[in-house]
Amino acid sequence: MGTTAPAPVIDVLSPTVYENGDPESNGLPLDSYARLRDEAPCYLHRTQDPAFRESVWVVTRHEDIARIDKDGANFINAEGVNLQKFRAASGSMIFLDGDEHRRHRNVTRASFTPRAISVYAESFRALARDIVTRALRHDSFDFVAEISVEMPLNVICDLLDVPQADRREFLQWVNAFAVTTDPSYAPTPEAAMDGVVNTRRYALEAARARRTNPGPDLLSTLVAAVDTGTLNEDELQAFAVLLAGAGTDTTRNALSHGVHALIHNPDQMAWLRERTDDIPRTAIEEIVRWASPVIHFGRTSVHDTEIAGQEVRAGEFVVMVFPAGNFDPAVFDEPGAFLLSRDPNPHVSFGVGPHSCLGRHVALLEIKVLLEELLRATTRIEQAGPIRYARDSRLRGVHQLPVTVTRA
Amino acid sequence: MRIVVDVARCDSHSSCVIEAPDVFDLDDNAIVLVLEEAPGEERRAEVERAAASCPVAAIRVLG
Repeated sequence: MGTTAPAPVIDVLSPTVYENGDPESNGLPLDSYARLRDEAPCYLHRTQDPAFRESVWVVTRHEDIARIDKDGANFINAEGVNLQKFRAASGSMIFLDGDEHRRHRNVTRASFTPRAISVYAESFRALARDIVTRALRHDSFDFVAEISVEMPLNVICDLLDVPQADRREFLQWVNAFAVTTDPSYAPTPEAAMDGVVNTRRYALEAARARRTNPGPDLLSTLVAAVDTGTLNEDELQAFAVLLAGAGTDTTRNALSHGVHALIHNPDQMAWLRERTDDIPRTAIEEIVRWASPVIHFGRTSVHDTEIAGQEVRAGEFVVMVFPAGNFDPAVFDEPGAFLLSRDPNPHVSFGVGPHSCLGRHVALLEIKVLLEELLRATTRIEQAGPIRYARDSRLRGVHQLPVTVTRA
Repeated sequence: MRIVVDVARCDSHSSCVIEAPDVFDLDDNAIVLVLEEAPGEERRAEVERAAASCPVAAIRVLG
């Protein structure tokens, strides 16, 4: 009697929270998210780690995340977008606002529309088929290493003219700067910086080579923007770093989380297996909601404002926790159910404002084509060992997902 | 119901084309194109979703 147990400390931003995530709850601290949405939808998070911002506001309700993300005039990117102070894609559009942001984004806007992306459908399918065929030479394998990594890595390397022989090294560079908090990706702080330097150098060389041999590809579009003075070479390099980081990790993790969810929801797996001729869009969107590949992005409030009843001052940093929004029962019926026919599905995984994911339609196509080829080539996929999550509160990485398959 | 778009704001996110493909498209410069400025009531739900999902709020639905 007498003493009251201290209230449990809620933490949804430490990298170890995600590394030690419970696979039963999709690796996410869903109970903590629920408590925050209910009791402290905008709360001040403090950390002592010098690699991180000292104090930030944490926003967990879908409604507030959408409001902040859409309002690029009042919540800006120029002061950074992450809890980590490290900026891999420094100089890229993710750190720009307003007209400057549009100047960058407009260079490639036409390259990423659904119609523009549809020209890749056949090459993506050939790639997916090749990856699946190679993986299925074995009955048991690590789904992450053999399949999830391969699909987006090769798509991005094709876009950036990275030759086959260099792709393993390229992957290490990207992993090191994209996931700086996980020692198995970034063994030293220098590794992250080296990854950035190497990727930038590589992109510049590829761009210069492409200048003598331009085509309808993305790199040629970037080179043309440099030639017309819309971008400078430094900005082209920054764009390449942004593209490499955003394009490889997120899609890789969406595939891993998606297949993990399919294995653990046999009724949904069966539903999807009946639709491998043309997997419906709802299924891919639900996988992207469930995976929530980006855990957080942040913005700096330009003015004194109020978020969910909490006063926030000009200059303070606001973190949007996307998976918390994606599992908000105020917006999603049965958010804890993995439901491939969910429609509408207003998830926030790609963002919903001016900075929303440029590569969204690429990612959706990659996932669709890969799953179609995988499910056609197998009759059964089972988990053969524990899923292992990355130590990161920015990107929701999966290190390992051992599976055993039965070939069709 | 009438649809008004601010083409100067369009950044080619294409959400509208995904939500309401019979009503919205993109032109050759990837700028939003309204295929049907006054669609029937049966399209209201998808048109309102298209407007709400536009990341740069370039679409308004009147009436």
